[in-house]
Amino acid sequence: MEVVKTLGRAVRRDWRRMIVTGLMFAVGMQVLMMIALMVRFQGLPNYAVGYDWIGNVIHIIKSTPSWGDIMPIVNQEWLIEIGKMNYDYGTGISEWSLNVVPVRMIVLFVLGALVALCLSLLRADGCDVATGTTLRATTGLGTVLIAMTNATMSWVVCCAAPSWVVGLAMLGLGVSTSLALESMGPALNLAGFGLLLCTALYLAWRKVRRAQYLSGSLKHA
Amino acid sequence: MELKTSLRSALLAATMIPFGLATQAEEITIAVGHQSMCTDTYTAGIVIKELGLLEKYLPTDGKYADAEYDISWADYSSGGPITNQMLANKLNFGVMGDYPLIVNGAKFQETDSLRTVYVAGTGYNLKGSGNAIVVPVDSDIYSIDQLKGKEVSTPVGSAAWGMLLKAMQDNNIPTSEYVLKNQSPAVGAANIAAGKIDAHSDFCPWSEIMEYRGTGRKIYDGSETGVPYLHGVVVRQDFAEEYPEVVQAFIKAVYEAGEWIREDPMRAVTEMESWTGVEKEVLYLYFSKGGHLTLEPSIKTEWVDALKFNHGVLVAEKAIPPLDFDAWITEDYLKAAYADMGVDYEAYKASMVDPEVANKGLPMEIWHSRDGVSTYETPAEFLKGMADIRATAALVNATYVYDVETGLKLFGKTAFWVKAGDAYATFLRKGEAEAFASANAGEVVTFDDAIAAYATDG
Repeated sequence: MEVVKTLGRAVRRDWRRMIVTGLMFAVGMQVLMMIALMVRFQGLPNYAVGYDWIGNVIHIIKSTPSWGDIMPIVNQEWLIEIGKMNYDYGTGISEWSLNVVPVRMIVLFVLGALVALCLSLLRADGCDVATGTTLRATTGLGTVLIAMTNATMSWVVCCAAPSWVVGLAMLGLGVSTSLALESMGPALNLAGFGLLLCTALYLAWRKVRRAQYLSGSLKHA
Repeated sequence: MELKTSLRSALLAATMIPFGLATQAEEITIAVGHQSMCTDTYTAGIVIKELGLLEKYLPTDGKYADAEYDISWADYSSGGPITNQMLANKLNFGVMGDYPLIVNGAKFQETDSLRTVYVAGTGYNLKGSGNAIVVPVDSDIYSIDQLKGKEVSTPVGSAAWGMLLKAMQDNNIPTSEYVLKNQSPAVGAANIAAGKIDAHSDFCPWSEIMEYRGTGRKIYDGSETGVPYLHGVVVRQDFAEEYPEVVQAFIKAVYEAGEWIREDPMRAVTEMESWTGVEKEVLYLYFSKGGHLTLEPSIKTEWVDALKFNHGVLVAEKAIPPLDFDAWITEDYLKAAYADMGVDYEAYKASMVDPEVANKGLPMEIWHSRDGVSTYETPAEFLKGMADIRATAALVNATYVYDVETGLKLFGKTAFWVKAGDAYATFLRKGEAEAFASANAGEVVTFDDAIAAYATDG
C-alpha cells in the first residue's frame, strides 16, 4: 500500500513532466517513423489525407452490435495518412505511408508518461551504478517493445493482414522473423508495459524501504 | 445489451437529430471497396462503377419503392484495407483476390457479432495464371531452379506469396535456400527495373506490366502450381440479410460487366485503360479471347477447394484465424440473380475453361496502333504480317502468341521462339523452348530474328 502511495506522490509531483514526455513520445514516434520511411525509400511524402476520426468512431459504435468488437475496430482507425504515391503505375499506388492512429497515439502517450515516471524515480533513488544501469536497460527494453508494436507504417504488401510487423518489414526485418512475431504483438505490448510498471513499482518499493530503514536508524540512534 | 443500446442512444442522440428531421424515404448506403490495380476484380469494380451497371439493376419496387440509394466506390491497392473498412462498416461490399478474401472471412468470423458472406466470383484462371515470378529482363536466370541462393521479393500475404511458396516447395527449394523479402508491388517492380532484386513474385497484372514495359521477364507462371487463381465479392452479412435484392442486383451487374467485356474486348480494355491507368495492351492479355481470365461469377466446388488450400497455407505461415467455409460461402444470391435474369446457373457452374485446351488453335494477334487487332492462323502468317508492318515503319502496340506447353497467352516479344525447319513454335520458358528445339532439330531464335527471316524471304 505504501508503495502505491509513493507512486501516487511521484505522479502528483511530476505530472507536468509526465504529460510533456507523453506528448513528446506520441509525436516524436510519428516523426521518427516518418524519417525512417523517408530514409528507407529515399523520398519525401507527396500526399496527405485527413480522416473524420470522430465521425468514423461514432459510425463504428452505431453499427457494431458487440462491445467486444468495437475496440479492436476503433484501434485501426486512422486520423491522418501521409505517404508517397507512385504515379508510374495505374492512377497512382501508395508506395509507403505513415498512418497516424489516435488509439496508438494514446498508447505512446502512456508509454512516454511511464518512462518519465520511471526516470524520475530513478533519479531520486541514488542507487549504485550497476543497479541504475539495469533499471535503465529494463525501462529501455519496455519502451522498445511498446514502440515497436505500435508502429503504423504500411505499404501494399499487407494484402492479407495489415499489422504492426509490416512497418518493421518495410525497414528490413526478415519475412520469417516478421511472420513469427506477428501473432506476438499483444503479448509484446503487454510485456513492455509490464516491464515499465514493474520498474516503477520496484523503484517505489526501494524508496519505501529506504525511508523505513532511515526512520529505523534514526529511532535507534 | 439493453444497457449498451441505451448508452449508444444517449451518446449518439445529438448526431441523430438532423437525420430525424430529414426525409422519410429510406436511404440505402451502398459502399463498394474495389481495386483498380488488380485486373481480376474489374467486373465487380471499375466496370460496374463506370458503366453504372449497379444503378441499372437496383430494385425500385416493393420495400424499395421509396428507397434512395447512396452509392460510393472506394479504390484500394490491396484487399487488406478493404477488410478493415468493412469491419468499420464503411464498406458493405468488398472485391478482392483469393488470399485477402480468406482473411476477410476469417477476420470477420473472429469477431463476436460481425460476419461477411462470399456471394460471387468475378473471374478465374483454372491453373493459376495471373500470379508469376519475374526477373530483370537482362538477368541470366531462366528457371525457378536458378533462384537457389538468390533474393526473391513478394508482397507477403498476397496470392503471389502463396504461389511462390508452393512453387518453391514443388521444386524442392526449401526456404533456407533463398532469401525471401517482403516488398510491395510498386517497390518490387521498381527494383526489377533497376536490377536491385534477383526476382519478384507478384499478382495480376504486375508481371505483365513489367514484361510490357520491357523491364522484367517471366520465368514462372502461376499456372505451373495448378492451383486455381480466383477473385470474388464479399458482403457484410447484416447488409445482405437486410437488402438481399441489392446483393442480387450487384451480382447481375457483375454478370453484365463480363458480357460487356466479352462483347468487344478491345473496346473494353481501351475504356478500362482510361479508368485505371493500366496499359490496354496489358489488359488485353487478361480480357481478350484466350486471355488469362475467364469472367464468370459462379462458385464452383473447385474454387471452394482452392480457397481451403489457400487457407491452409495461411494457417501454416501466419497464424490466421479458422474459417468456417460452409457458413461463409453462399450461392443463394447467385442463384436468385441468375434465375431473375433467366440464366442457367447450374450450366455456368458446371463449365470450366482450361487455357491449355481452350486456347489450342487460337490465332496469334498483332495490335496495330492505327488499325487495331489483326489475327493470324499460323506463326508464318503472323511473322510475315509483322515483317510487312515493320517495313512500313508503322507502330505496333503489342503482339500476342500462345505458349505451346500451357496455352498461356504471351506477348510475342517476350516469348521464346523456336525455328524447326520452316515451322515456328512459341514458349513461355527458355528451358522448354530449348528442349523442343533439340527434339525437333530446331533452334531458339529471337523474335526479331524470326521476323527478319520473313522480311528477307517473304
